[in-house]
Amino acid sequence: MKRLKLILLCFVFISGTFSSCDDKLDINTDPLAATSADPNAVLPFVFVQYSSRKVTELGTRICDVSQYISNTFNSPKNGSTSIFLTGNTWGMMYNQILGNLSLVKADAEAAGPTSNNVNAIATILSAHIYFELTSIWEDVPYTEALNGQDFPAPNFDRQEDVLNAVVGLYDEAIALIDNRQLDGEFTIQTTADQYYGGDMDKWRILANSLKLRALMLLRNGGASVDAQINATLGQPLMSSNDEGAYLIYSGAPGAQNAMKTIITAFFGPDNESQNVFGPGPPIDNLLRGSGDPRYDLWVARNDLPAPELAFFPDNSTSVLSNNIIRFDLPDMLMLPSEIDLYKAELALEGFAAAGSADANYRAGITNSLRWWGQDIPGVLATLTEADITGYVSSLPAPSIVDVYEQQYLAAFLQPVMAWTHVRRNQVPVLDAPPASTIGTTLRRFNYPPDEVTSNPNTPANLPTETPMWFEN
Amino acid sequence: MRSKLTWMLTPLLVLFITFSYGQEKTISGNVTDQNGLPLPGVSIVVVTTTTGTQTDFDGNYSIQANEGDVLRFSYIGQKTVNRTVGAATTINIQMEEDAQALEEVVVTALGIQRTTRTLGYGTDVVKGEELVKARETNIVNSLQGKVTGVQITNTGGNLGGSSKIIIRGVSSLSGANNPLWVVDGVLINNSQTPTGSRITGNRDFSNGAAVINPDDVEDINVLKGAAATALYGSRAAAGAIIVTTKKGKGDGTGATVSFNSSTRFDNLFRIPDYQQEYAMGTNGQYDSGSVGFDWGPRITGQTVPNAPVTNQPGQLRAVKDNGINDFFKTGITRINNFAIGDASEKMDYRLSATSLNQNGVLPGSSLDRITIGLNAGVRHSEKLESRFSVQYTTTKTRGTGATGANDPNIISLSNSFSSTLDQRLFTPWIDESGNQINQIVDNQGVLSNNPLWLRNENKNDRDEDRVFGNAQITWKPLKNFSILGRAGIDLQDDRRLLTNRKGTIQRLFGDFDSDELRRNELTTDLIFTYANDFGEDWALTVFGGFQYNERTFQRQRIQGVDLLIPELFSPANAAQAIPARDFNKRSLFGIYGSAEVGYKNWATLTLTGRNDTSSTLPEDNNSYFYPSASLAFVFTDAFNISGDVFSFGKLRASWAKVGNDTTPYLLNFNFNPVTTATGQYSLNNNFPFNGALAYSASNTIPPSNLVPEEQTSYEFGLDLKFFNGRLNLDAAYFNNKNENQILNIPIPESTGFAFRTTNVGRVDQTGFEISLDALAVQSRNGDFAWNTAINYSKVDSEVVSLTDGLERVVIASGFNSVQVVAVPGQEFQLFAIPHLKDEETGRPIIDPNTGRRQAGEATTLGSVLPDWTGGWINNFSYKGLSLNATVDVRWGGVMKSSTVEGLQTGGLVTETLQNREGTFIDTEGVIVTQDGDGNIIDRRDNDVPLLNAQDFWTSLNDNSVAEPYIYDATYVKLRELGISYTFSSKLLGDSFIKGLTLGLEGRNLALLYSKVPHIDPEATLFGSGADGFGIERASVPSTRSVGFNIRLTF
Repeated sequence: MKRLKLILLCFVFISGTFSSCDDKLDINTDPLAATSADPNAVLPFVFVQYSSRKVTELGTRICDVSQYISNTFNSPKNGSTSIFLTGNTWGMMYNQILGNLSLVKADAEAAGPTSNNVNAIATILSAHIYFELTSIWEDVPYTEALNGQDFPAPNFDRQEDVLNAVVGLYDEAIALIDNRQLDGEFTIQTTADQYYGGDMDKWRILANSLKLRALMLLRNGGASVDAQINATLGQPLMSSNDEGAYLIYSGAPGAQNAMKTIITAFFGPDNESQNVFGPGPPIDNLLRGSGDPRYDLWVARNDLPAPELAFFPDNSTSVLSNNIIRFDLPDMLMLPSEIDLYKAELALEGFAAAGSADANYRAGITNSLRWWGQDIPGVLATLTEADITGYVSSLPAPSIVDVYEQQYLAAFLQPVMAWTHVRRNQVPVLDAPPASTIGTTLRRFNYPPDEVTSNPNTPANLPTETPMWFEN
Repeated sequence: MRSKLTWMLTPLLVLFITFSYGQEKTISGNVTDQNGLPLPGVSIVVVTTTTGTQTDFDGNYSIQANEGDVLRFSYIGQKTVNRTVGAATTINIQMEEDAQALEEVVVTALGIQRTTRTLGYGTDVVKGEELVKARETNIVNSLQGKVTGVQITNTGGNLGGSSKIIIRGVSSLSGANNPLWVVDGVLINNSQTPTGSRITGNRDFSNGAAVINPDDVEDINVLKGAAATALYGSRAAAGAIIVTTKKGKGDGTGATVSFNSSTRFDNLFRIPDYQQEYAMGTNGQYDSGSVGFDWGPRITGQTVPNAPVTNQPGQLRAVKDNGINDFFKTGITRINNFAIGDASEKMDYRLSATSLNQNGVLPGSSLDRITIGLNAGVRHSEKLESRFSVQYTTTKTRGTGATGANDPNIISLSNSFSSTLDQRLFTPWIDESGNQINQIVDNQGVLSNNPLWLRNENKNDRDEDRVFGNAQITWKPLKNFSILGRAGIDLQDDRRLLTNRKGTIQRLFGDFDSDELRRNELTTDLIFTYANDFGEDWALTVFGGFQYNERTFQRQRIQGVDLLIPELFSPANAAQAIPARDFNKRSLFGIYGSAEVGYKNWATLTLTGRNDTSSTLPEDNNSYFYPSASLAFVFTDAFNISGDVFSFGKLRASWAKVGNDTTPYLLNFNFNPVTTATGQYSLNNNFPFNGALAYSASNTIPPSNLVPEEQTSYEFGLDLKFFNGRLNLDAAYFNNKNENQILNIPIPESTGFAFRTTNVGRVDQTGFEISLDALAVQSRNGDFAWNTAINYSKVDSEVVSLTDGLERVVIASGFNSVQVVAVPGQEFQLFAIPHLKDEETGRPIIDPNTGRRQAGEATTLGSVLPDWTGGWINNFSYKGLSLNATVDVRWGGVMKSSTVEGLQTGGLVTETLQNREGTFIDTEGVIVTQDGDGNIIDRRDNDVPLLNAQDFWTSLNDNSVAEPYIYDATYVKLRELGISYTFSSKLLGDSFIKGLTLGLEGRNLALLYSKVPHIDPEATLFGSGADGFGIERASVPSTRSVGFNIRLTF
């Protein structure tokens, strides 16, 4: 009897352990993660992650492709694009940025017109990323992108189609902004919108301005977009630096521009002493002796010769100035000088809606000089209005080449835009780097191996000297 | 907390329901062989329990048993004797040699003791004494060469570094290739979490099992096949290593005290063949800052205006071996173990204390560890006994070497030494104001770090406290029925602090990284056992039980940059502090059972089953069952054919199917709070950024219908003994099929995601193992003996399939586009960029404009796993003198060495002397001419000179070409050598000393064969926590150790 009791007691204890079994096993939820996120929390990731990766991959590595910097580490300028450069950039754009933006957009669409503001921002940023993707790789997935459910292996769209889609996205964003429902509208926190603090008028100007950027490439490729250009010129476009789109780096640790941190992390205190970034030959050619105040703002020791193409600066050459290679250098997505100079170009090509070529040319240079000498956050060496007007008024009426050269200068420290300008305009004319394996300058990246191996629809890589459709 | 306690205590409470004191007593006695000589090491177990002991040096034993219990005495080569305990308390046994009963007892899964003859699978037992003949500080390394079918790798001479062991090749694409470690029946963690990454500079901190103290180990049983490990469930799919710790022994004359002390000296194992003819510099020009780049002028004793380090006018002179022996120190290791143990009728205990003090070859590196172990058992009655064991270890590691890249603290054979750089000039490295002095200054005046500043002022510290142990109670309410309850814990508290002192070049503002990790593991078991013999012929043992296992991992990390007050590592002293937190928890509930049916002690069939329910799998698919069957057939007994020549023969066969769960939190789609916006070169930014917090969606699409991983395996083995056990052969053939692997497979990022979690792919392993041991020579009087043992293992791990459309999966990434990949149809491959080759001649195609080789397309360049591994162990003894030597072999496979790459591109080694000053033409190359369609229309031997020799060597790796640095990774090493002398009792006389052994020991003594130049071919970039093989970069150089040892018993 005693034994029987004992056995019964055993079973009671054992069944006790079973009953709590479900609780013990139901623990597979990460306590440090959320199942949904407010756009005010996702947008900052998009702004900062995009800039952090762009500046470190493209800013520090490909600026010697367009040659505004003489030489960089791990550069693809000789014709070979490494799997890290291509993979990191592609992954950042499609997965980290477009992936998150598509979730923000889907939420905003579900919420309806009260979230048009967020939806428009996500749409504009997405369109800009597609523009950069096609600028770097030409044909990229658009139609079937970001929909793994239906398209596990997205097909690639032709560059012309991608650019047209980009224009369409800007139109969509502008329509969203024009049809906002202000009553009960989603509140975009000032810190969440790192460009404009939630000012949707500025976003509308940016969308229109970026649309003009895309139309300029379409036009160069031979697409009939003159009517769209005229329509765009009729809408508000960026005209002053306070409308510029850029990410502010405070300069405090954790919010520092990598053009400077690459120097402090690997070399020493600053660029002038460590000789990492030097002016490329075209910068030297365009600015030395020109009287352009940007020469003194950008280039230190500028009485010495510039480093040759593919060489780092040393104590016997000029070097990029600590005035610009600094922790709080902003990361620029678009400045008004670019728009002014597009208008100057279009005016020279007969677009009446663009206004005067001469006035736009001077406005473009003025805006650029104001940016570097007055308006840029954290400005060190400054220019007076007298310096600016003195120089600008001294310039002769522009030729188309003058406009192209100014477009190149105005894109200084914008790695993709500067590269796009030299490919679109063929000005300035760039020498092939001495160790180039392709006999010319780099025209495109190869597709990253991660996409190639996982997506059978990835087109065959073209040689990296092959011009893109828009270079037509 | 309360609920956890309930879980821990339930199995024990069950057993505390009643105490039934019976007629327990201590049985003691003496065991001798057929000649009447004492037999030490005879295994004595109380049948149907896990109680057991061994005879001591003089053949004495003592064990707790009850009247009616059966004591089983077993010893290899002797007939097993069973004695039923009666009224007497002394049982003396004279054993008989019996070829038919050559058996030994091993501890198998869940702590179950079984005789080897009944096992249907292969095991490899390493005795504790083998581990302390030439002691290793990481127990994993001491298994090298001693166990068939295992591969052991470590990251070189890094003090307190990790060692990785894989058993029978790799089976997993997701990194689950580490075996399960079990100490006294308790699962312990062998995890390793690095601080930092290979890209940002890595610290290879120790693997979890490294704290197991070899001095406390009775034996280690390596369970290799799925049938052997099936009862451990999912976690043992890559094998299990069962460690049994020593118990107290007594002969009634009082406690036994032992003292074991080793002192050892470590020096660099291999020094690169540095050239001493040309100075630091570039293109023949001297540069005082060109460390690790010796393409300067010929050294003629010339005077330069800026001699290295001093930056004053001075003469250039070659420094022997580039001063490597001035920089690296002689390491000293001291290991002292003290143990006291006793046993009586009621109890046994063993208390052990070990101190390990090491100073490494790398300046500023040290390791201090104290281990205290207690193992005690009490026999409360004939029906109830309890046992308790615990090990506490506290370890302080200082100055761990940095490896990888992009960290100023990395010291490597290729980047830190130069022909004309005298390392002695770096002393002192700091002035009274705390500034770095005696730095390297280049011709432009740019400063680089003084390596002794890096080693002495920047911290690379780790403090670890670890406790693991278990409590168990065995209750035997019926004669043939027992219940065992066991609760085990493993607690790890691991605190790291890495700092860069203000003034460190590349980290000028000072920073710190405080990384604290905590791992807890709880395992409870409740096992019911029934054993009975039915008649003369049949024996049955059945057991069943439950297991609950819970694992928790927590990590809190604070990185601080830009320090206000130097050397103050508080977040409040940093301009920016970046906190991070990680947490995961998982649980598993298992029910298992086993039935062992024996017939006439020559055939044993064992069937097992286990069902696991895991918290990490989807609720409707979280339960999985796996069965195993194994058969042991002693055909020499069955057919009665044993004799003096052919003494014993056993065939074994097994089949098993096991499942495996996955990591926690894979099932939900999450937005994760983000503290870091990543950039190239780790130039990251952090949130809050301009006041904004950030969240990002997971980049992985969660699985929709995940099922458990599945491994199916079978094994056949043959165990033969000849000449009454003087020659033994054990052979095994095995085949494993690993399917439904749970993997994050890369998907096109153009979908917006980077990975998808799914069941995918199949990896098969087939292999053959053989071990042969022999008492090759024995003198007639027994004074001289030569024992020799050889083991050989060949494993092919083939990736059979991945998933549709996926060409390869990256297992691990190295540097410069070098990866370890899984490609269907092959073993794990090194994937890297070769030179562009002419298909017809196989020669590199030269660029006619530059004379240089060109890069080809990245491709697979060979398996990173060996073709076969082997070991050869010899022991010669003459009276008290004993000499043992272990040689181990890794044959085949490839490795890529970034150190050799650096040595060659830096012009540091002798092969770069060729044509230093003359015209340099790459004569291996060929120049091809193509027509407009790309067809080759002409070939000629290369006749285009490069700029110079420097141009040749430095352009070899242009565009990330890795091929020139990929070598056959084969090596043959003299791993261990030990000589010892044991004083006979006659010599010791009547002194209080019972035993005294003096020994000389050496480890990692000689590289007998290798094709890798300049470095130890064992070096690897990957710590045990990473699933990489075959890539080496900036490892801390490995060491050769010699020392002496004293073992005393009182």
